[in-house]
Amino acid sequence: MIRIEGLTKEYAGKAVVRDVTMAIESGTVTVIVGTSGSGKSTFLRMVNRLVEPTAGTVEIDGVDTRRMKAHELRRRIGYAIQDHGLFPHWTVARNIATVPRLLGWPRARIAARVRELLELLQLDPDEIAPRYPHQLSGGQQQRVGVARALAARPDMLLMDEPFGALDPVIRAKAQDDLKAIQERLGSTILLVTHDMSEAIKLGDRIAVMSEGRVEQFAPPADILTRPASAVVESLVGEEDRPFRYLSLLPIAPLVEPGTAEGPPIGTGHSLRDALAEMIWSGRQALPVVDDEGAACGRVTRGALLSAGRPPR
Amino acid sequence: MSAVVAAALRFALVALVLAFLLVPDAFAPLLAPFAPPGGAAIYDRASLLALTVSHLLIVVAAIVPAVAISVGLAILVSRPIGAEFLPLSRAIVNIGQTFPPVAVLALAVPVVGFGAWPTLIALFLYGLLPVFENALAGLTGVPPAVAEAARGSGMTGPQRLLQVELPLALPVILEGVRISLVIALSTATIGSTVAAKGLGEVIIAGLNSNNLAFVLQGGLLTGALAVILYDGLGQVARLTARRG
Repeated sequence: MIRIEGLTKEYAGKAVVRDVTMAIESGTVTVIVGTSGSGKSTFLRMVNRLVEPTAGTVEIDGVDTRRMKAHELRRRIGYAIQDHGLFPHWTVARNIATVPRLLGWPRARIAARVRELLELLQLDPDEIAPRYPHQLSGGQQQRVGVARALAARPDMLLMDEPFGALDPVIRAKAQDDLKAIQERLGSTILLVTHDMSEAIKLGDRIAVMSEGRVEQFAPPADILTRPASAVVESLVGEEDRPFRYLSLLPIAPLVEPGTAEGPPIGTGHSLRDALAEMIWSGRQALPVVDDEGAACGRVTRGALLSAGRPPR
Repeated sequence: MSAVVAAALRFALVALVLAFLLVPDAFAPLLAPFAPPGGAAIYDRASLLALTVSHLLIVVAAIVPAVAISVGLAILVSRPIGAEFLPLSRAIVNIGQTFPPVAVLALAVPVVGFGAWPTLIALFLYGLLPVFENALAGLTGVPPAVAEAARGSGMTGPQRLLQVELPLALPVILEGVRISLVIALSTATIGSTVAAKGLGEVIIAGLNSNNLAFVLQGGLLTGALAVILYDGLGQVARLTARRG
């Protein structure tokens, strides 16, 4: 549990972050979204005290972060950034081992942990561990950056535009992978992005920031259906809103008895995926199968479109 | 292929210099045409080997402290607490560079007397600037994302310096050392005007007695040493940079 109270940062009397208060549940993903200059990165960097707050407090599990030494605090908080910031003179293994080494873990434990993380991030340990960062692709560098942030089993993970340098295809895969890893490890993540789609895809809760203030702090569906201000509304984007909303809804509740033509879709997909498939294949309904591949009914275009119009 | 040629040339040059230092008389026929009638072709008032060793020792004795102080100063002024001293440090090392070594010798002799000391002081002052500027460029040139990651992962100031900044700056620092070393090697020859033992002695003797053979062997030896050292340090720099 992370409690942020009245967090403020001023530079030369000008507030970059103003009086932000927020509670972050353990094991959830909180996404801070905002345009550049909204203060979102400064806010993130105050959590691990890369920026010292002008006022306000951050408490992790009831302990005020100001009572710890800054470098000891940072060793307890994973940190992943846009340009990965891998140390170019160290191998991948040594990079991932950064924080465990700082904490003085025994050698064998570090080696085992590095191997475990590379496997978790779908990188072949024997092939990738001895390489230097410049020998990796952009997507691999980003994954090593995440592995390094996770290495010492931190209390929480701070991520500043972690996928910003990736092309759209690799980016989507990286987001899926992060989501899967987060669900598996139950990590607490605070992630900053300027991309509302990314925020909706990854966040359990989204904080929309503008001019240093949090405009709205709510689950993605609320941000879409009940934007608290004009700023939030403009970030959500009127023309994309229905599709973003559909992307949050699972197929399962709309499944009705019956059959339909063509290849089936799994219950794990979102309504947005189902709509895309209907448009592209010109079908009125799709057969639905469960995780084991057993047929469980169909979803129709009519049901889908009315589900995409949220109650208001 | 070019690497093989370079290695062969390197080996040949080192072998040639060693041969000349160990058995200089064998080269007398080559240099005789440049000696005046009846004059010696090979410098004979002191052992060339001893002069070369002394020359190198003076250079090393001046450059080692110059490197230590320049790198130390660069580390200091690249920290937040030392940033104020940057203009002052720049001014000091720049004066060292702009002050002509001959003038340093002239000023140092009345204070420390004749011998190796005036030369040491001149070379030391002359060697500061290239190392300082390169060390500063290397230490402040760490990519922002890397510097941010080092802080963000919880390294302390000294850990960042020793584990990240200095290793990343090392190739650039070595480049500065290389420049200082070569400048010092050639500048050390003028030290012989104030009685420092070195290869300048051979050149000056040649100039005084109108013996072109002496001037040639002193000059060529100094030049060959500069090439060997410059190349050798370049190899070291390449090794340290290869992983970056």
